[in-house]
Amino acid sequence: MKFLRHLAATALVVAVVVVLGLAWNHFAASTLVGSVPSPLQREINHSQPRGRVPVPVPGVIRNGGLNLGLTSMLDPVNLPVLRHTVVIEAGVIAAVVIIDVGRRRARRARRTGPPAPPLSGDDG
Amino acid sequence: MPETQAADGPPAAAPTAPTAPAAAESGPGRRRRIAARTRVDFWFDAVLFVGYTLAYSYSFTGIGIHEWLGLGLGVALLLHITLHWDWVIRTTRRLLDPRGHDKLIWLVNLALLVAMTLCVVSGVLISRVALPYFGFSLLAGPFWTRLHDLTAEVTLGLVPVHVALRWRWIVQVGRRVLGARHPR
Repeated sequence: MKFLRHLAATALVVAVVVVLGLAWNHFAASTLVGSVPSPLQREINHSQPRGRVPVPVPGVIRNGGLNLGLTSMLDPVNLPVLRHTVVIEAGVIAAVVIIDVGRRRARRARRTGPPAPPLSGDDG
Repeated sequence: MPETQAADGPPAAAPTAPTAPAAAESGPGRRRRIAARTRVDFWFDAVLFVGYTLAYSYSFTGIGIHEWLGLGLGVALLLHITLHWDWVIRTTRRLLDPRGHDKLIWLVNLALLVAMTLCVVSGVLISRVALPYFGFSLLAGPFWTRLHDLTAEVTLGLVPVHVALRWRWIVQVGRRVLGARHPR
């Protein structure tokens, strides 16, 4: 029951984010993609002949078959792409860990305080 | 990630407090239960991280795996936040407390939630394989394609930060989980 309550709360938060995204697209799409063509312009563009790549028509329900689109998967030639991602992640993780360790050390040093100055005769 | 122990542990425990000491005080049954939850969290988060890394490497996986993995990550993300909802509530309540911890992590997590959600949603809207497989073809406009690219880049920066901010928990639990087969 508790899990379902938490799931509902999470779904609600996610829904809010989705609505914000939809609102962004509706009210200020140009902030992301520059000038968005008007519906009329889009209509004109659609009438142009497309390239060789077949593009499914929006809203059309297709029979689909059993093509999961997995034919282009995991080609070793493209391993550098994965390596690139891993290197970026490792770099960011290393940077954050180093900063965190340094910050904790500095905090610990501050807490223990500077070493007491040696007593001189003037100090009484 | 580590928020879970606090969720399972005593309510007053700090979110980053490791599970084992608190659990050990509560008897063997309690310890076993918490350890199991911690183990689930550890492996679930590890799979999420690997899955995300693969999904981001679009040119390596190909569009099919990219889209199916992305859909799976969307569901897993929902589950991940649900499992850590207690931490979300507790940390949100403490935000105004000047002594409150985890403010940075809370901000990073919020940004990651927004970016990841928009990334998955825009990915669904521009899907060319997964959605047509189910008989839908939305083919949203350039806004969603651009948003997908942008949020993917943002998540690539935030996911490692999200992981790294809990590196102590990962090291502690990783040692226990991976070293469990070698008793001292």
